Amino acid sequence: MKSRYGLLSTLTAIVLFIVLETLSLLLVVERGVVQRYKVLGAVHAVESWFWQRTSQIGYYLNYRAENERLAAENLQLRQQLAQYAAARQQLDSLVRIVEPGYTYIGANVIRNTVDRQHNFLILDRGSGDGLEKGMGVVTARGVVGIISSVTRHYAYVISLLNTDQSVSAKLSGNASFGPMSWKGTDPREAVVSEIPVHVQVAPGDTVFSSGYSTIYPPDIPLGCVVETKVSKGSSQELTVRLFEDFRSLHGVYVVQNMRKEEIGELYEGAR
Amino acid sequence: MKAPANLLFFVLVFLLQVVLSDYLHLGPWLYLCLIPFIILHIPLSRSPHYVMLIAFALGLGLDVLSLGVPGLNAFAAVMAAAPRKTFYRWLVNRDRQDQTEVPTLRGVGIAKYSKYLGAVTAVYLTAYILLDCVSFRPASFILIKFAVSTAASLAAGLLLAVAIQKRI
Repeated sequence: MKSRYGLLSTLTAIVLFIVLETLSLLLVVERGVVQRYKVLGAVHAVESWFWQRTSQIGYYLNYRAENERLAAENLQLRQQLAQYAAARQQLDSLVRIVEPGYTYIGANVIRNTVDRQHNFLILDRGSGDGLEKGMGVVTARGVVGIISSVTRHYAYVISLLNTDQSVSAKLSGNASFGPMSWKGTDPREAVVSEIPVHVQVAPGDTVFSSGYSTIYPPDIPLGCVVETKVSKGSSQELTVRLFEDFRSLHGVYVVQNMRKEEIGELYEGAR
Repeated sequence: MKAPANLLFFVLVFLLQVVLSDYLHLGPWLYLCLIPFIILHIPLSRSPHYVMLIAFALGLGLDVLSLGVPGLNAFAAVMAAAPRKTFYRWLVNRDRQDQTEVPTLRGVGIAKYSKYLGAVTAVYLTAYILLDCVSFRPASFILIKFAVSTAASLAAGLLLAVAIQKRI
């Protein structure tokens, strides 16, 4: 009788083990952050409030560096604006100015991780500010990630520093492009793969976003090439030093592609 | 140490784990985990079902509170909790004479305690790191991360064991 009870206990323990591990794996595969926000909305509301306060303290402690960075960015944008104004004057009489098709919403990072394999950010803007799942997040110095879920006041962003993320990148001076993804160790290093072997790439070449997706606009500078190597004999793998330092992210822009739905409809129609 | 004080200590260890995971940037090479230490201190008389459920709750609680990938720590914690008693018999109580309810550093000695804690920690980290990194990261990265994390977590666990011993 005792041995029968022991066997039954062992069997139920094995079944429980399988059930708990399967449940864990399902959660890992799903990674539904929205679900967690719904289930534990109150917990995250408290956490978000706390992160916002702590991030504000951090911001005030680092405001000098942040101001210098913004001033430099402002100067660069003013220079670009002057160039565009001059170019527009020349082109106005020739062609109709085409709308760029993107709008930007400013947001602040209140939570950011860089030392995990699945890093994320929390922004202090949410659905109430027009943010939606699937929108890209950028800065003047690179792409940051994609919004995975939103609440009314906050957005959860899957960082580029994540095993699940890549961005279509192109090289300056030629039409070659390939996916760029994080290497997994240094927050400032990424890898661009699938660049054909015949394409000449030199250390120092700049890598930009290609714009071949509906998430990120084209021509955002991402980083510069520091190393090239041939991978599997058929393509090159470029190690890229990112311009954006994810460890000191504060102000970001959320990108809304005004023509995303139209492009999606075209794509669906073609299929 | 009395049971409520004991419970409070492990609640504090769990909160420390949340803070470590959430606010301390240790870099991608190191994952400091204290959950195996807590699993180890669940009384041995408890059934495997109870231990696995507690481990699952601890892991999932950590995943949610530190905004990690949900299920990652839960998977690793259950994996470490399941063979806990077997490790105890193999590494601590081979001759089956010791009837300790909770093995302590003073009770079983530092060598046996380290082996026991090290084995449970290694199982936890193997499950965690493989699920987190496999097929995305090179084997060298996974091996180094495993070695560094196991050594650091074992050291942290031993420090906590010394701390809890002083409270007894």
